[in-house]
Amino acid sequence: MLEVRGLTIRTGAETLVEDLSLSLAEGSLTCLIGPSGCGKSSVVKWLAGVLAPELQAKGDALIDGSTAIFPHRDIAYQPQQDTLFPWLTAAENACLGLEIGGMERRAARDRVDALFPTFGLEGHEESFPDQLSGGMRQRAAFLRTIVQDARVLLLDEPFSALDAVTRLCMQDWLVARLAERPRAVLMVTHDLYEATQMADRVLVMAGGPGRIIADIPISTPSAERSETALAEIRSSLKLMLLKEIP
Amino acid sequence: MTSVRYLFPSLVLLAAFLAIWEGYVALTDVSSLVLPAPSDVLNGLWVERYVIARHTLATLGVALVGFSLSVIFAFVVSILLHFSGWLRRGMMPLLVASQTVPIVALAPLMVLWFGFGLLPKVLLVILVTFFPMVVSLTSGYASLPRAFRDQLVSMGATRWVIFRRAALPSARAQFFSGLRISATYAIVATIFAEYAGARRGLGIYILAAKNNFRADLVLSAVFVSACLTLVLLTVIKGIKRMTRRRYRRENNA
Repeated sequence: MLEVRGLTIRTGAETLVEDLSLSLAEGSLTCLIGPSGCGKSSVVKWLAGVLAPELQAKGDALIDGSTAIFPHRDIAYQPQQDTLFPWLTAAENACLGLEIGGMERRAARDRVDALFPTFGLEGHEESFPDQLSGGMRQRAAFLRTIVQDARVLLLDEPFSALDAVTRLCMQDWLVARLAERPRAVLMVTHDLYEATQMADRVLVMAGGPGRIIADIPISTPSAERSETALAEIRSSLKLMLLKEIP
Repeated sequence: MTSVRYLFPSLVLLAAFLAIWEGYVALTDVSSLVLPAPSDVLNGLWVERYVIARHTLATLGVALVGFSLSVIFAFVVSILLHFSGWLRRGMMPLLVASQTVPIVALAPLMVLWFGFGLLPKVLLVILVTFFPMVVSLTSGYASLPRAFRDQLVSMGATRWVIFRRAALPSARAQFFSGLRISATYAIVATIFAEYAGARRGLGIYILAAKNNFRADLVLSAVFVSACLTLVLLTVIKGIKRMTRRRYRRENNA
């Protein structure tokens, strides 16, 4: 569905990511893991069309075989912070992507309102972000991303700001939400436990310059992903990542 | 109750200052032509209340017209500067330079060029008050977190949409800070413009009182101008509170 070929990202003389290729299939949740600074977020930002101006990128991207230019309406992006606008209510924040995409305000609001119960935010439509808990804010941000009905979701460390317990609850919850509709999801994470718990494929990146060093499918069904079932994969991922730390 | 607690230290200090002043005048027997006691100032204000009120209204009118136009002008200029880096680089040094021109030199020139009507006074108020607002607005727009901008860009937002949806609302707090600074200049600038040449207004009243050696009336007019500034600041505070989205929502609910 989404294919990246030969992506190279440079900052001046330094090469951040070199000749990276990957493909995402519909209905898949792919996690991109790797040490800090290996260029994971830069890859996602390039796909979202928000790469920092000081970085130069070269490479091709195809969506359903056609060349894609970013930002693309089939791609929704969620950055590390929840980026809920403090001056807008939860519902208004959630409508943002739809309205910018050209949907009439009333229609956008109807669509968003219908999803509030599913996202555990019922009764908080008119709450401002600072009136919501960390988990609720994150769910509101997911709602804003998912409601856009994009076929590709890019999630850049979406749980990084959450505490450990909320993070665990949110992981299962997000997998369930994403399963409601077939999409291609690319999620950046530092956490290999999170990656193996949620993803059906893990791409391991190494730094200096950034490149993919392993592509590991996880075929264990979500319900059966226990510590024991995933122990072997986690152990090999851990070794791989430790080897990359200088 | 909160506002009383907030104002209490200021009121205590003010009362102490006035008491010391009153006591000093009574004890030293200094001439009221040089330093009138606060009670003399209040007495002068009471006796001249109708005259001072007439001049106050004239000053207030000019200040409000000038200040309102200045807000509009500041918004237009700040938007132009936000969208054009070339214009920003070109205009900012000139705007800064415009603030170094002493108002004492400019006020008589304005009267010389534009006469004794409303225009020179309004122009002077604009010149003095719009700069803090332009600076606060442009830095407010620039303070938009990169992640917010990226979020909108990834949604396909144009530059104008990013400005309208994010940069403008995020500049709200800084705009009101600039507005408060400008408001403190507005009355002073008007009085200065009137001082340089006018038919009515606190500026010309102060000039006349000074020429008649009526320090008590000069101070009465100064007291009124300080009150005007405080009222203007209170109004701005109220506008800031009432235009806050959360306030509007809670009060419409």
